[in-house]
Amino acid sequence: MASITIKNLTKKYGNTIAVKDLNLQIKDKEFFVFLGPSGCGKTTTLFAIAGLVKIDAGEIWIGDELVTSIEQGVFKPPQQREVSMVFQDYAIYPHMTVFDNIAFPLRIRNVEKDEIWKRVEKTAELLGISSLLNRKPRQLSGGQRQRVALGRAIVRRPKVFLMDEPLANLDAKLRVKMRTELKKLQLDLRTTTIYVTHDQVEAMTMADRIMVQRDGIVEQIGTPDELYNHPSNLFVASFIGSPEMNFIECALAKEREGLCLDAKEFKILLPAKILPKLRNSIGEQVIMGIRPEDLYESGSVDGILQGNVLRMTVDLVEPVGPYLLLHLRCGQISLVATVKETNVKTGQEVIMEMNLSKIHIFDKKTGKAIT
Amino acid sequence: MFLLPLWTDLTTSFKDLNDVIYTVPVQPPRSPTIEPLLSAFNIMARPLLNSLAFTVAATILSCLLGSINGYALTKIKFRGANIMFLLFSIGIFLPYQAVLVPLVLTMSRLGLYNNLVGLILTHTTYGITITTLLFRNFYGLIPDSLIMAAKTDGAGTWTIYRRIMLPLSLLPFVVAAVLQFTSIWNDFLFGVTLARGSEAMPASVALANLKGTTEFNWNIQMAGALWYALPILIIYLVLGKYLIRGYMAGAIKG
Repeated sequence: MASITIKNLTKKYGNTIAVKDLNLQIKDKEFFVFLGPSGCGKTTTLFAIAGLVKIDAGEIWIGDELVTSIEQGVFKPPQQREVSMVFQDYAIYPHMTVFDNIAFPLRIRNVEKDEIWKRVEKTAELLGISSLLNRKPRQLSGGQRQRVALGRAIVRRPKVFLMDEPLANLDAKLRVKMRTELKKLQLDLRTTTIYVTHDQVEAMTMADRIMVQRDGIVEQIGTPDELYNHPSNLFVASFIGSPEMNFIECALAKEREGLCLDAKEFKILLPAKILPKLRNSIGEQVIMGIRPEDLYESGSVDGILQGNVLRMTVDLVEPVGPYLLLHLRCGQISLVATVKETNVKTGQEVIMEMNLSKIHIFDKKTGKAIT
Repeated sequence: MFLLPLWTDLTTSFKDLNDVIYTVPVQPPRSPTIEPLLSAFNIMARPLLNSLAFTVAATILSCLLGSINGYALTKIKFRGANIMFLLFSIGIFLPYQAVLVPLVLTMSRLGLYNNLVGLILTHTTYGITITTLLFRNFYGLIPDSLIMAAKTDGAGTWTIYRRIMLPLSLLPFVVAAVLQFTSIWNDFLFGVTLARGSEAMPASVALANLKGTTEFNWNIQMAGALWYALPILIIYLVLGKYLIRGYMAGAIKG
């Protein structure tokens, strides 16, 4: 059990910067997710915490123990850090039985035989692999191998779990199942966990907090709710959520008493609540973002007061199951909306309304959120 | 056709001198005798033992060192690893003849001329180049995550080698061992230059010496050749199965 503190971490591979000046504080017992597209530096950060890569600048603390510091010349090798790791390809030792695999970290530490037995059995029971202990890895399915790798990580009760896309190699159904199990396991064990993934659904469902990275730079750190409802920039807004948020380029203009977004095809009057933040951007080009579920067919949901109506043509109706996807178009603007049910057909016109309390406005130049 | 020399060797080994003169080589002996085999063994026993000793020792040493080198070159990232590997590879192409003079000089200075240890050292050094290449290629196929997992599990460099790499390397060990055993056993040049005296004389040299200068005892020579070929034959029979698997197998899957 430990917190993790990272100060000014920088890592270069040749001339490319993998991680740039990263500062991060992970709380004790937290389930923390590094999220980002491939090559964003998330795995490098994880490896730096494990001590598997040497960094170029910065400090890493596990609990109150300094494990890496370039300035002070401190570097503890991985075997001296109390972290355990689960890899994408599981990395279970092919020549050992399941029992030996799970027992390996204990044997290395010269734990007594009886104690090893007890702990391996208990771990296997926890993961539901007690009947597989005498098998060799090649006789196991992907999901079972995954559990063995988890078992090996759990059995030594480390301060921190590090997981590098542990579910990426599983098929879709099993992935969802293991996701839930993993989360439950973490709630049981209460061990600080860092989990790397490029899958935003995994991140949203499992994390206490998420760090979104891109090109070695932190885009945002926050709870799933914060990232979803208050993305701090365009990248986070488009990366989180599926189907993706709709973006419309418009000008911020004065309209009578208040402000409106002018997108040529239509004007949207903004609610008074968000006006103060927009004062400095009047007359500038901005990007408006609205999530598909915040668009309604007019009249389909009661109690929406704002009368911002968009007249649009239906390009395509995609039934997903629990909801339908409406692909809409109006001049140059195309939007996607998710609706519960609809009678409209491809080619028809439809009047859409948007939930104005849920719109996001971003600076076009910097991509930063204004509201 | 390929087996004809072997057949001739077999038939001649069991012929007495009269048979050797009055029969065609491929013809079976008229009055079979094991006399030539016995007298050849009497002459060859010591050299065969010598050969066996330094061949086994040098094979084990060169395989072990090659495997450690391969591990270091693939799994421990250090500066100059590629240059190091290049140098090893060049060593493979170094002709034996080119090193003979300095080799003899070095060995005699070290007091290892005419000595089994000298032969072991020489063959090990020459063998390391090819075994390193072999093990490096094999270890390149073992995923790095396995090593990283072992590191986070708490294993140090040597523990990883001993408990992860070594148990996974049965196949390359068999391939390298057969390769090394055959080439060291068959070597004549190093043997004849480094160990002419009887104390350390290898079987290959002794076999050549069977061909006297004035008389030709074909039967004894053939019998000697038979003795000489025996260990290699046994090795191939015992390890052939693994050898083929080793040549074929790309990798173990992680």
